[in-house]
Amino acid sequence: MADVGAVLRAQLPGTRLALKDVPVWLFGMFFVVLWAAPFVWMVSTSLKPSSQVMTPVVEWLPREVTLENYRNVMKYPIATWAMNSVIVAGVATALCVLFGAMAGYALARLRFPGRNVIFLLFLASIMIPPEVGVVPLLLAMIKVGWASTYQALILPTIANVLAVYIFRQFFLTFPRELEEAAIVDGAGPFKIFFRIALPLARSPAIAATVIVFTLNWNNFLWPLLITFDENMKTLPVGIAAFAPVVGSHTQLEGYATAMAAVTLLCIPSVVLFLALQRYFIEGITTSGLKG
Amino acid sequence: MADAVVVDRAAAAPRHARSLSARGDIEWAGYALVAFFAVPFLIFNVGPVLFGIYVGFTEWGIIGSPQWIGLENYRTALADPWVRVAFVNVMKYALVIVPGVTVLGLLFALFVNQSWPLSAVSRTILFTPNVVSATVIGLIWVWVLDTQFGVLNHYLGLIGIGPIKWLTSVQWSLIGVSIASIWWDMGLAFVLFLAALQNVPRDLYEAADIDGAGRLAKLWHVVLPHIRPTISMVVTLQLISTMRIFSQVYVMTDGGPAGSSSSVIYYIYKTAVQQQRLGFASAVSILLFIAILILTIVQRFVLRETARG
Repeated sequence: MADVGAVLRAQLPGTRLALKDVPVWLFGMFFVVLWAAPFVWMVSTSLKPSSQVMTPVVEWLPREVTLENYRNVMKYPIATWAMNSVIVAGVATALCVLFGAMAGYALARLRFPGRNVIFLLFLASIMIPPEVGVVPLLLAMIKVGWASTYQALILPTIANVLAVYIFRQFFLTFPRELEEAAIVDGAGPFKIFFRIALPLARSPAIAATVIVFTLNWNNFLWPLLITFDENMKTLPVGIAAFAPVVGSHTQLEGYATAMAAVTLLCIPSVVLFLALQRYFIEGITTSGLKG
Repeated sequence: MADAVVVDRAAAAPRHARSLSARGDIEWAGYALVAFFAVPFLIFNVGPVLFGIYVGFTEWGIIGSPQWIGLENYRTALADPWVRVAFVNVMKYALVIVPGVTVLGLLFALFVNQSWPLSAVSRTILFTPNVVSATVIGLIWVWVLDTQFGVLNHYLGLIGIGPIKWLTSVQWSLIGVSIASIWWDMGLAFVLFLAALQNVPRDLYEAADIDGAGRLAKLWHVVLPHIRPTISMVVTLQLISTMRIFSQVYVMTDGGPAGSSSSVIYYIYKTAVQQQRLGFASAVSILLFIAILILTIVQRFVLRETARG
């Protein structure tokens, strides 16, 4: 499946449309526009003055544009939450990609007993819902006094099998000659990995990074459980309190402010996706899984 | 200088040449390289799961130590009406979301695969919801599905439907959450299908053209058989993730009204965090794992049988 990226790229400049296909094309594009509509509505609402949000007729464009809602959002510790998210997702992703690359390299290139069993165990673990371990993990973290700490937020997300899988796939087809030259020079496996293999694994590294980072950035259940301190919340958990629903939530603000908050929340992952779309899709289609 | 390097290489060569050629040699560094990943994997992924299985057989509050009570938690869980509601609900979620995601993902992939104008932009748009967090999905859709001022009810009103209480009525709340979930999850199925479609060999289409096959015939006889493994994979992945539905439920409805949109993980969250019945919550999570395992096997079997028949 390594050629998927190439196929996707080659296919991009598509402009041939026969006259008889125009109705089908318009029909399809209607649904594509429909798919984008909730995002448009989110941004549009976030820019409206709060008095013009609840209108009897749907107004897709704001009558007047204001940043009032974004200023409202700033009244909450959103900068702190954002910093927490950056630290947690950043460190967790860096460690996951580095360790995943090392394991993926070893499992693909080095000969040692049990390497296939180890890989199968990694893969089999995907079947088990992480929620089975979440309650004991929470308890253990509280008992060792790590509730609401960075290490509690980061450590359980490091071992994402997806990273191992992506790197293993890449290193399986890695040219032997590149390693052999280094072996002849007397380099050991660690040196070969860091000096030769890892620098050449740019494409899987980017793919693993964007996918794992997005998963970590969006992670919800674990940060929700482990943070009891308002100042240790991550962005998704902090902003969830803007949800104007009945029940146990506190309704902080109206829809306009909520939309400004979620617009801010989705900017990093959407920008990252738009910039590195090719690697993103390549990584997902190679592995066929996410999360 | 150059000579020295040559000599070094010559001296080093035999030793390493041997380690390359002798198939039996063990490269011990492999264990060290894997260990960096395997240690956190064992401590934070495997360990808690095994401990969770044990905790499921115990009575455990937030203080004190677990007391072994055998299958008592499982008996309580099977008799608990809210557990039944939660399991029935995730089945309902699966019945709505899995077909929704699979069919829409396939249709969109077929559309984008035509390479008609704007296909690259369409691909980006269709996948984007997949990269944002549950909080974003939840809040956007709470607003879109708002009974009085929501966009959806506004347009449904124009054709004489509604207003539907998407998230605040017992009949509709599960459907409301499902709509948001389909919008969120479809992108993954879509790119997997798109990649599969682009691997269908060109000459198969050409052969079908020569036979004078129409578009639907080509889809049925050429495309679908070829991407069957992908369909099976998408259904499996989506089934597992839907059985574990939580975040969007938490953000959009808080499981309500009256538990009508609650899910198994949501109930685990409630019992573990709010009631601190840890043993019971662990037992329910094991039941969920067993249910996922059974459903995955059954669904694989069914898809294989239909492929034969």
